[in-house]
Amino acid sequence: MLLICGTIPADDFPLTVGPVFFDGDALILDGKTIPCTQGTAALASAACTVAGHLGSERPWALLVGDRGTGTGSRALYEHLIENLPSLSPGVLVLHYMLPIMGLMKKVCRSAEQCQRRPVMIADAAAMYAAKAAGLAPRFDIFTPDHSEMAFLADPEASHPAYASRHLFESDGAMIPELARASFQQKGAAAMLVIKGATDYIFEHGQMVAHISEPDVPALEAIGGTGDTISGMLGAFIQGGQGLCDAAIQSARVNRLAGQYAQATPATKIREIIAAVPTVLKFHLKK
Amino acid sequence: MTLGFKKKEKSEDGLILFHSVEDAIAAERILKEAGYEVRLVAPPPELRKGCDLAVEINLVEKTGVERRLREKKTDYLEILPVKGKGRLLDVVKVTDFGETLMVKAANMKLTFDKASGVIVNISGGGCPDIPALHADLLDKRISEAVSPKEKGYTLCSLMLDRAFEESLALWKKQRKE
Repeated sequence: MLLICGTIPADDFPLTVGPVFFDGDALILDGKTIPCTQGTAALASAACTVAGHLGSERPWALLVGDRGTGTGSRALYEHLIENLPSLSPGVLVLHYMLPIMGLMKKVCRSAEQCQRRPVMIADAAAMYAAKAAGLAPRFDIFTPDHSEMAFLADPEASHPAYASRHLFESDGAMIPELARASFQQKGAAAMLVIKGATDYIFEHGQMVAHISEPDVPALEAIGGTGDTISGMLGAFIQGGQGLCDAAIQSARVNRLAGQYAQATPATKIREIIAAVPTVLKFHLKK
Repeated sequence: MTLGFKKKEKSEDGLILFHSVEDAIAAERILKEAGYEVRLVAPPPELRKGCDLAVEINLVEKTGVERRLREKKTDYLEILPVKGKGRLLDVVKVTDFGETLMVKAANMKLTFDKASGVIVNISGGGCPDIPALHADLLDKRISEAVSPKEKGYTLCSLMLDRAFEESLALWKKQRKE
């Protein structure tokens, strides 16, 4: 099972877990409709689209409303701590949630009690919590963007807002150096899927692939285009692909979807996701 | 399946420093009443600036904490991370896409239409107030939108606020030219 965990921007959405379905417009979880917007909703929508294409098991989602106060996030952490061993997902994707280091430590301990340790993927603030708590080496994949690499490579930063200025100002050419540094300082997961003008894939600090075509510069401006990569990555792994192949495939599909959608900086993420089925149909490497 | 909520656990990587012990005690009470998980501690010697009592917080909640203390008119000196130099990134990068400008502050990016000043996209970040701010700000004129700092709770919203303020300044400058 692929289990996607995160928050959605609502005050009144209770903690809910179960198989999730994307109807092409919105997510459906336990009879509740969730708009396909930037954040975990975009991630789950992209994951559902890939899983549907592959014919694999429907992803599960653990979602809760949280507009930033952290109340929903805490409930989500607590649920994972108590229930991960019984859920025992094959792939666990942790996403938008208030970064709380103490609770993230307990989630990692709980994951180790699963019958088989899940493939652990962290993006967004779940990645911030994992790195700040010194838990990065316990994750299989982090999916930062270029600016978040400055944070992962800065051993003292507990959030990207506190990343060192000179690391933040470094250009794309410094990404390999930042990736190596973050891995050496235990600020990176075993694999980094770095999203940007060029997408880079690093394993244990060594670059194994980079993808820069098709070049769709507008993708950086579109909220949710990083989320879709992480969602597709989880779904490809759950569908049986190796981690590296899944990472390359997700980056390519995202770029091609941007191209098919004729993305501009004003394009919305649902338009990118709407192009994914076409990309999968015509371009997915068998 | 809908589930319940059990207990809470805190994480402390930020400190609020105060002039007086009285202010520190008042701040702890105010923040606890607002649902924050905080506690009184002695600041480490290298961070000591005022009195020798500080309030430990989850640093990522800085924006919401500051707003709450402001609303309750509680004085404090500074909010600092326990580790590191304590300086927030103040670098802003601007990308010109032709019809739109993208302004980036740390992990947050805001893109607005040069002709209308309408916010067309917000990307980056990872804290739970960002999808909410994304929904609130999208398709609003930057000159009429509420600043992210007024509605957000986290460091991501603070960085979005920096991108917002810079975008607003660029928009106003462009209108004058």
